[in-house]
Amino acid sequence: MQFMFAALKLGIGDMIYYLVIFAILLLAVKHFAWGPVTDMMEKRRKKITDDIEQAESNRKKAEILANQREAELKDSKQEATQILSTAKSNAEKTKQSIINDADSEAAAIRKKANADAVQAKKDALNEARDQVADLSVAIAEKVIAKSLSAEDQKDLVDQFIKGLND
Amino acid sequence: MSEKPVIVNFLGLNFNLTNCLGGTLMAIAVFALVYYLSRRITLKPNKKQNLLEYLIEFTNNIVKDNVEDEDAQKHLSLYAFTLFLFIFMMNQLGLFLEFTVNEHVLVKSPTADPLITMTMAMMTLLLSFNFGVRKFGFRGYMSNYARPVGFLLPINLIEEFTNFLTLSLRLYGNIYAGEVLLTLIGGRLAKSGGLWTIIASAPLTLIWQGFSVFIGSIQAYVFVTLSMVYIGNKVTQE
Repeated sequence: MQFMFAALKLGIGDMIYYLVIFAILLLAVKHFAWGPVTDMMEKRRKKITDDIEQAESNRKKAEILANQREAELKDSKQEATQILSTAKSNAEKTKQSIINDADSEAAAIRKKANADAVQAKKDALNEARDQVADLSVAIAEKVIAKSLSAEDQKDLVDQFIKGLND
Repeated sequence: MSEKPVIVNFLGLNFNLTNCLGGTLMAIAVFALVYYLSRRITLKPNKKQNLLEYLIEFTNNIVKDNVEDEDAQKHLSLYAFTLFLFIFMMNQLGLFLEFTVNEHVLVKSPTADPLITMTMAMMTLLLSFNFGVRKFGFRGYMSNYARPVGFLLPINLIEEFTNFLTLSLRLYGNIYAGEVLLTLIGGRLAKSGGLWTIIASAPLTLIWQGFSVFIGSIQAYVFVTLSMVYIGNKVTQE
């Protein structure tokens, strides 16, 4: 019985000592190492979560921007095609109008030239007629030496020229 | 083993100086280690911080794997971390240091003494009571002993006792056997036949010490894991 009691006593001293030591160790570790490190781990975890979320949102934003840009590019392509076709049709129109103008101008010039030519021919004929009349009067005067009235002379020449024309 | 413990009587209680000295030394060693590792804590971890965080993650995983209750997890992780390091250190102490003065051994593995391992197991036992009562209330906790069926009550009560005993005696047995064999090789075998046996015992000691380091680590891990299993059982309703 005494032996048992001694053993119990022996145990309790050590046990209390170890419990105290362990409690002190627990508190010291918590204060100097565990606390700061777990805090920092938690902070890091939070930061990583935030970073991932931010990256996700950035990626979405970039995607939207890219889509927008692509749409804009398509639009501008369409616009360019439209401008090109408008320019083409405009050029076509201009070309047509220039050709038309030139045609009409050429026609007018030709008409005028024709008229001029007709006029010139008429003038020349008239002039020739007058000259021929004068000339024939002079010739007749000289030939017949007989005064022939200018009126009779003209009738003669007219008949002559009519004969020429026919 | 002719080693005699040094026992001092203080305040009517007997203190085994061998155990006290070893435990104190190892507590200081554990604290020095984590103190050294936890200097200059930064968001981007340096090498020392990495090691410490690895250890913390290691014990945290033990806790998470065996305790489902989130609230208990938070409280237990520090206990598991300190307990693991402390027991690991105490297991290793006797392997490289055994300090004897006039047949009185002063420093050896404290875990080679059943009293110390029982103290550790008792802490786990009391913690498991504490967490169980906190979770279910005293009445609810007591009624948990009669679950899932009433006639299991005596078995559950005995299990409580055997859990405590196996937890402490497993650790004690492993470490004590290691120390005994080490003493036998180093003390008896080496001195038995002169120079020849001294040379022969050197590699044997080396091998056994290496193996004991392994055993000490495994036992520290097992002790913490089983502690968490017992506490985890108390905070989950079956």
